[in-house]
Amino acid sequence: MTEALTEERTAASEAAKTDRSIVGFFCRECAYAAADATGNARISLPTTIRSVLVPCTGRVGPLHLLSALSEGADGVYIAGCLEGQCHYREGNFHALDRVEFVQSLLESVGVERERVRMFTMSAADSPRFVAAAREMHETISSLPPLKRK
Amino acid sequence: MPLTARGEAIFERLPGAAPRASTGAIGCQIVRHEELCIGCGRCASACPTGATSKGDLFDPMQLYSAPPESRRGALGASLRAIAKHKPSGPIEVPERVSAFRTIVFDASRCIGCGACARACPTGAAEALPVPAEEIATAGASG
Repeated sequence: MTEALTEERTAASEAAKTDRSIVGFFCRECAYAAADATGNARISLPTTIRSVLVPCTGRVGPLHLLSALSEGADGVYIAGCLEGQCHYREGNFHALDRVEFVQSLLESVGVERERVRMFTMSAADSPRFVAAAREMHETISSLPPLKRK
Repeated sequence: MPLTARGEAIFERLPGAAPRASTGAIGCQIVRHEELCIGCGRCASACPTGATSKGDLFDPMQLYSAPPESRRGALGASLRAIAKHKPSGPIEVPERVSAFRTIVFDASRCIGCGACARACPTGAAEALPVPAEEIATAGASG
């Protein structure tokens, strides 16, 4: 537990040094368990990622995604359960549609739609969790920093 | 959208048994004030004929014009902060997103019952009473 905390703090201070930041909303049942497994296996993640635990990805609305972007994040992603395996039946489908909605909103005001993404994974699939985090990191690093007014 | 069973029943009872426009037999003329609409969809649920329904499109400009203390207003403020230009036009809304849809009003299906105006929390749907002479004509033909 203390090890995990120290690691989290080191990661946070390193993230402060890099110029991009990505917010990830992780479902408690799947993605967060996968994140936990990743931490236990001591696999390092891109330091740009900041994680937010949610009970279900169905909790995440357009306002969470957009306010993260307007308050300082360069990218946002949701990681939830595999299709049809949501513990609350269809929370991840709701999340997926909201992500699509926010992507269209961003596109209509001239912001790259790749800044918002959705990934799905099972609780045991920590390699997929790492791959998603790295993919998101690559995408956001290749885009210019998000300009705000 | 086909008529609901309740809508069919209402149409059958109309004088002349034909669908009427907004100033038709039941009564009121419905006027919509889009700038007041918060897209809650209560009018669409209340409408017996499907004249008022939730559309498949959403205009992001509605987020900009919403009151700042509302959820739509907060979303608009966030969007405005990162926007490179004004919204380029209506966007398609995915199936499971129900809160952000522009309400579509089809006057040819409206029977002027005023259910939408009673259901509307903001006064965006307004029912104007029909003039007395039209009521007299409707009574005479029926």
